[in-house]
Amino acid sequence: MRQPKIIVVGGGLAGLMTTIRVAEAGIPVDLFSIVPVKRSHSVCAQGGINAAKNQKGEGDTVDKHFDDTIYGGDFLANQPLVKRMCEAAPGIIDLLDRMGVMFNRTPEGLLDYRRFGGTLYHRTAFAGATTGQQLLYALDEQVRRHESEGKVKKFEGATFLSAVIDKGGVCRGICAMDLRSMEVKTYAADALVFATGGNGAIFGRSTNSVVCTGSSQAALFQQGVDYANGEFIQVHPTAIPGEDKLRLMSESARGEGGRVWVPRSPADKRAPRSIPEAQRFYFLEEWYPKYGNLVPRDIATRAIHRIVYQEKLGIDGQPAVYLDVTHIPRETLDRKLEGILEIYEKFCGVDPRVEPMKVFPAMHYTMGGIWVNAEDQATNVPGIYAAGECEYQYHGANRLGANSLVSCIFGGGIAGPAAVKYAKNLEKGAESTPSAVFDAERKRQEEKNQKLISQDGSENPITLWRELGDVMTEHVTVTRINKNLEMADAKIRVLQERSKKINLSDRAKWSNQTLNFARELENMMVLARVITLGALARNESRGAHYKPDFPERDDANWLKTTRAKWVNNDIQLTYEPVDISLIKPRPRRYDAAK
Amino acid sequence: MSSTTTQPDTSYLLRKLHSFTGLLPVGAFLAEHFWSNSSALVSRAKYDATSQELQTIPFRLIVEWGGIFLPMLFHGGYGIYIWLRGKSNVSAYPWVGNWLYVTQRYTGLIAFAYIGWHLYTERWLTHGTSTYESVAMDMQNPWYLTFFVVGVLASSFHLGVGIWNFLCKWGLAATVRAQQAAGQFGALVGVAFSVVGILIILSFRFDWHPFSAYLPPTK
Amino acid sequence: MAETKQVIVSVKRQAGPKEGARWEEFSLRWRPSMNVIICLRDIAENPVTRGGQKTTPISYDSNCLEEICGSCAMLINGRARMACSALVDQLEQPIRIAPMSKFPLVRDLAVDRQFMFESLKRVKAWIPIDGTYNLGEGPRVSPEIQEKGYPLSNCISCGNCLEVCPQVNEHNQFVGAAIISQVRLFNMHPTGAMNKSERLAALMGPGGIQECANAQNCVHACPKGIPLTESIAEVNRDAWKQALLGWLAG
Ligand SMILES: Cc1cc2nc3c(=O)[nH]c(=O)nc-3n(C[C@H](O)[C@H](O)[C@H](O)COP(=O)(O)OP(=O)(O)OC[C@H]3O[C@@H](n4cnc5c(N)ncnc54)[C@H](O)[C@@H]3O)c2cc1C
Ligand code: SF4
Ligand code: FES
Repeated sequence: MRQPKIIVVGGGLAGLMTTIRVAEAGIPVDLFSIVPVKRSHSVCAQGGINAAKNQKGEGDTVDKHFDDTIYGGDFLANQPLVKRMCEAAPGIIDLLDRMGVMFNRTPEGLLDYRRFGGTLYHRTAFAGATTGQQLLYALDEQVRRHESEGKVKKFEGATFLSAVIDKGGVCRGICAMDLRSMEVKTYAADALVFATGGNGAIFGRSTNSVVCTGSSQAALFQQGVDYANGEFIQVHPTAIPGEDKLRLMSESARGEGGRVWVPRSPADKRAPRSIPEAQRFYFLEEWYPKYGNLVPRDIATRAIHRIVYQEKLGIDGQPAVYLDVTHIPRETLDRKLEGILEIYEKFCGVDPRVEPMKVFPAMHYTMGGIWVNAEDQATNVPGIYAAGECEYQYHGANRLGANSLVSCIFGGGIAGPAAVKYAKNLEKGAESTPSAVFDAERKRQEEKNQKLISQDGSENPITLWRELGDVMTEHVTVTRINKNLEMADAKIRVLQERSKKINLSDRAKWSNQTLNFARELENMMVLARVITLGALARNESRGAHYKPDFPERDDANWLKTTRAKWVNNDIQLTYEPVDISLIKPRPRRYDAAK
Repeated sequence: MSSTTTQPDTSYLLRKLHSFTGLLPVGAFLAEHFWSNSSALVSRAKYDATSQELQTIPFRLIVEWGGIFLPMLFHGGYGIYIWLRGKSNVSAYPWVGNWLYVTQRYTGLIAFAYIGWHLYTERWLTHGTSTYESVAMDMQNPWYLTFFVVGVLASSFHLGVGIWNFLCKWGLAATVRAQQAAGQFGALVGVAFSVVGILIILSFRFDWHPFSAYLPPTK
Repeated sequence: MAETKQVIVSVKRQAGPKEGARWEEFSLRWRPSMNVIICLRDIAENPVTRGGQKTTPISYDSNCLEEICGSCAMLINGRARMACSALVDQLEQPIRIAPMSKFPLVRDLAVDRQFMFESLKRVKAWIPIDGTYNLGEGPRVSPEIQEKGYPLSNCISCGNCLEVCPQVNEHNQFVGAAIISQVRLFNMHPTGAMNKSERLAALMGPGGIQECANAQNCVHACPKGIPLTESIAEVNRDAWKQALLGWLAG
């Protein structure tokens, strides 16, 4: 029998889970990643992972987890697969537990759970404040085990450039570039799974890691892979402002009792500790008495923006509010939140156990992503699958905290076997594809490199990127106004023009990071436009997408998935209905019981 | 390093042997040697008697070679091999442990040279019949005296740090606190040996016998 | 306002593993809470030396920018540390930045730390699970074990502990503190313990735990504050016991 071959691009949680599943099926996998997979962005996840195990006897159930997820996502997610995810979640925790994740424990030796945003239950399993790191390592270790048994071959330090798609529109492999030798090569495979993560870099500064550029998603998009719900971008309410990165201050800080406040009087210049209780404005608790500090992210973010920009109550007139954990016993803080508090201390030089932290919202997560079907993570191009943050399936218009890790692992767990099944059923595998198809794709990519290296111009890719980030952050995040969105799109197109005059200032053929970045930048700009145009078109407010001119959710016209397509070298928006067969949409309100 | 090996590599065994010989028998011999030489602090005669006593222990050659000379040669020789495979970086990382790492190598070398020379002069040339008289004569030479002092201090230091290393490297002191305690213990041993060693040298140099009062009064 | 403050940075440049090295100095505009990564980005945006010479952007590794991915280790003012958490205001100027010296150089500040990942393979640094299908809950783990294991599992494979170790160098293949500590972690876990003797055996092979000479630099250099000396001592104890028993029992 023909031995199929699978390529996985991306080694975060989703990619590693996919890899393990394929290796378990006895099929060889090539795993590509820009960074050594152990350094993938998933390590940044702090707070935890959701599963309704009802370990605290609060009557939590899978159905409630499902309902919270759909409701939190403002009814934009296709429901059946989300339900399957919530059903699978407890099993996923068990699996991770078996893999040796050092989850926090109860005195009985069982897993401990904490509360997270958008729910009233203790549903979030956690390993200190570095849950993502711990989960990623567990999967990384399993992949290393398969690698040492020869089932997995890693290509770390290689970047995906494009898919190899034959005349019949079937994917037959990838074209990738070694980031040291800068050599461009093609690799044949019967099926590909993409797990390339988020796209924070499009917004310049975000809570994401450096390699989260969305570049592969954009490259695939330009090869005919549809992109869905791009306009849904989650802005996290609490991040530490910084010039290189907006470092997240996890929701778990509030889950453990952290409170958000500002001085009631904007003129109050006293040190936070000397401001008496009565003169502090705990605005989340006052505005949303039921969920208090744990309202979903979009709501908390808008509340902070309102405090700072409308009420003018930001600390010292700056765009910042206090996130206060100083009233929590030090021992609890050290045991449950040490990792994140250390980040604050390290990067701000202030001990958050003693002084309230100053935080402000930051771009954090993309709900939108590669379009996949509602059964098995397949995209619209035969042979290409996607899982993890790079696809759009699970979180609708807004993701709940601690739901991403579970969706990454669940999605990867489906995508792997689906790709195997597809590859096994292929009548003709990649090996029968004429080599001319591969050569043509490689040439196309080599020519791109050559052009970039040899062109003379005046533009610097980093400058262009900063400008892109500024436009996107200002107009396409928390508050969206059509006029501004139009302007933003025009600005991006100007940047695209200017990028044709990029001067690389490095023409080396060895480890040329500038060349790769310039390539990524081109792709980022395409995805930036997909996001902006999607936002412009959607005249309603839903989840993370908020338009003051259209402040209500409009189910009659907009309860539909945006599906962007690449037609004649341009973006075309199409729409398709959302599967709401399980829970009927109802208004989403966090100021009262739902 | 292969994942299928079940037997420890020779380098592992040699390392362990190196560490072990440092404490036993070399360290133990050092302790015994300091102890018996302390008899000089009592009187000349006591020293000569002890010295004579040691020359008449049964199986002397076997004890000397198997228990002292060969282990010492191995410990010193392999120690130098280890030294050559390390690459000290104390100028970049001037931490206490790192200083000890470096000093352990130099004191080891000094101690090795000193003990070798000491054995050669006091054991070989004299065929083990060194007397208080002859040693005291040697000590009048300032070069000789300096070498003795440096040698004794280096050996004591090396032993003290060695004890600390031993307790850590065999996992007998594992926690941070236990390792601190082990360090203090090592330091104590090092200081005690230095003091006793210097006292012995002083005894020979100045014909000084502070414990002579222990002797029954001579008529 | 006073004239703008400058930050002087001196970077060791090397175009490839076989090229010669040279130092280049840059003068950058100071901003509050600037770190070394921001300096490198500034240089990439305007690759001109202090002397006005055009040069190339600097190659270096980074990803998370919050000291959790382990990418950005380099020598900053002579010491191995993470660039993303190295705040300019806490560094003496000119800030000297050089690549780690114990790993093969790629270009400029980027090095190849594959050796560490290979070592993890050799010591079977994983829990041997039967499969990812549903097999129920994992073993019970007491909070005490969790509190011991969790810090160990924080190792980000940055390589700082190898960089500062006098015993890690071209003469020997010492796996370094990180790997030994990982062995302790996996041996501690109820399921992981099933491979305990294999892991210990691997650590008694060439380049194994015996190469440790107790300089204890690793524990000072670890950005994650992992109790490495404790790990080494514990694994050492398990190792010689296993060696002795294996020898006595044949
Ligand atoms: C600061 C922070 C905290 C978070 N906390 C939580 C939390 O507590 N709970 C929760 O559920 N979620 C959390 N999230 C979200 C969650 O971490 C991410 O959504 C998730 O880790 C994404 O995983 P992934 O596998 O999809 O992608 P990633 O982990 O981002 O991995 C992407 C992989 O793709 C590779 N790659 C990318 N592009 C290419 C290319 N062109 N060629 C080759 N390889 C490529 C990368 O090298 C990497 O290996 C948090 C996110 C952030 C930013
Ligand atoms: S043990 Fe510490 S210093 Fe060593 S690799 Fe791990 S995190 Fe880095
Ligand atoms: S960039 Fe991840 S540790 Fe510095």
